[in-house]
Amino acid sequence: MKTFTIILFVFMCAAQWLVPGKMIYDSEDVVTGGTVFKFKTQPVDPSDPFRGKYITLSFDANSILADSADWQSPGEVYITFTTDSAGFAKPASISSTAPAAAPYLHTTVLYVDSGDPAPITFDLPFDRFYLEESKASEAEKAYWEAQRDSAQVAYGVVRIGAGNAVLTDVMINDRSIVDLVNAMNQTPE
Amino acid sequence: MSTTPAISMSKQILKELPELVRANVISEETAKRIADHYDAQPNPSTNRLLIVFSILGGLLVSMGLVLIVAHNWDELPKGMKLLVGLLPMLIGQAVCGYIVIKNIPSRAWREGCGVFLCFAIALSISIVGQVYNIEGNFGRFLMVWMLLTLPVVYVLRSPATAMLYIVGVTWYACEVGYFSYSSRGVQPWKYWPMLLLILPFCYTEFILKGVKNNFYYFISWLFTLSIAVCLGCFESDNEEMVVITYMSLFSAFVILSQMKMFETNRVLTNAFLVVGSLGIMGLLLLLSFDWYWDELGSISTDGIKFYFALSIEFYFALIFTVLAATLLVLLLRSKPLAEVNLKVFAFLLFIALFVLGAELPGAAQLLVNLVILVFAVYTIRDGATKNHLGILNYGLLIITALIICRFFDTDFSFVVRGLLFIGVGVGFFAANLYMIRKRKQSS
Repeated sequence: MKTFTIILFVFMCAAQWLVPGKMIYDSEDVVTGGTVFKFKTQPVDPSDPFRGKYITLSFDANSILADSADWQSPGEVYITFTTDSAGFAKPASISSTAPAAAPYLHTTVLYVDSGDPAPITFDLPFDRFYLEESKASEAEKAYWEAQRDSAQVAYGVVRIGAGNAVLTDVMINDRSIVDLVNAMNQTPE
Repeated sequence: MSTTPAISMSKQILKELPELVRANVISEETAKRIADHYDAQPNPSTNRLLIVFSILGGLLVSMGLVLIVAHNWDELPKGMKLLVGLLPMLIGQAVCGYIVIKNIPSRAWREGCGVFLCFAIALSISIVGQVYNIEGNFGRFLMVWMLLTLPVVYVLRSPATAMLYIVGVTWYACEVGYFSYSSRGVQPWKYWPMLLLILPFCYTEFILKGVKNNFYYFISWLFTLSIAVCLGCFESDNEEMVVITYMSLFSAFVILSQMKMFETNRVLTNAFLVVGSLGIMGLLLLLSFDWYWDELGSISTDGIKFYFALSIEFYFALIFTVLAATLLVLLLRSKPLAEVNLKVFAFLLFIALFVLGAELPGAAQLLVNLVILVFAVYTIRDGATKNHLGILNYGLLIITALIICRFFDTDFSFVVRGLLFIGVGVGFFAANLYMIRKRKQSS
């Protein structure tokens, strides 16, 4: 009985390390080897019981025109991206099988409008940016204050690899939102 | 915590020892040996307290760590954040390994470590999600967390961790089946195998050993409530069919409560009996209104019946009815019919009413009222026979509930309704007075 328990214990430890280990490995793989895209966005500030405060990003580039008859929600899809004239990401193609070469995103379809072509809205699974709890609402405030200036641009810096994507930073006018909030906190009101 | 009879008896003996020595009943040496014997005995009440505090300690420390890490320390580099988040799991595993290898029997250590490790696992997944801004899916997170917690239950043989596991699995099913917008129409199928995976532990830890302690009571309560809550996740459109599933489930609970291996000394500690009985009576009271039977009567065309027969709800109703019927056969083989609680037949009665209700909804509704009345009278009689005031009043409450329900949807005159209430009120008073007098006489 004791031997069985020890064997089970070893398997238990292995499994418990395997899950975070695999998550770290996959994310590091994208962070080091993935292609950088800028996704135009708007942030809001909610919180998660386990991971703390974060800002939610609502991206513009979350749909692509295609024949609605070919796609259904919820279905798995592969999206490739290109950049527009301003340097921001925009969806280039949608397919049901993985493209031959990275970068591409493996995600799910959220809604399909009827028509040909019609917008196929898909999930961008990197819409959370975790911040220190005191800074999340400050960051949102910084964004909305800066938004009064119409020239203001906010975007998420996302690295995309073969299927996975990691959000590495959120920028407002090419400045990291973390630096911006730190600067706001240091400046007397 | 109450003191057990064994402890109070030992205290009594120890108090008497000097007197017995003085009276030359026992020698000084024997008195010392008796005192040493009781000193060496573990004190169950102290042990119980220690277990409770170790579980609370494990819970508070680990949940505190989850909150501290959720602060998301911006100043720390990525590697350091990951290290801080993963360290509690390493510590938990080290303590767990020590307990297993040294074969430490202490319940307090095992429970505390199990609870701590359970939350340390959640922390380890959360920190990676936080560092890499992984949005993730909360239902999947709960599933992975619970699957990684399951071996902890078996390795440490920790009922407290098993309780957390059942809560977690229930949370997973509710998140996927009820709460999450993104999983509309998705059913948490993995809930069933995940819940079943805890049963070998419950069997070997409690049933096989014949142990009925507080852990057993809590786990049986969580288990029954979990199924009762999560069964609704598998309902889509055919709510008429779901009632059969629930009726069979609650009947199966009552049947289990009548089996020797699940019997307990007190009514409240038998979760199968309480949840099953309350479930059956609650459902029957709902069914005593006409809305259910009107809807059932309206779906009578062949096409809809065919669709009905192919629905998920139909298969669930079938599985649970077969399960309840099998358990009923097993019960009736081991116990004479006269000793069996009448509510074990509720599911068979309801199926007959369901078939009747598809053609004659009014008759079925009337019969439901009659069934409730029969169950109520049976419960009152059961309470009187067992000399149990709780059961007796439960029976009277069922009748009261039935009258209140009818108060709203019948054409009885106010005088008749008033007389009914007075009648039941007098019944309450008379039945309780009779029982109390009977008790006084017998004492």
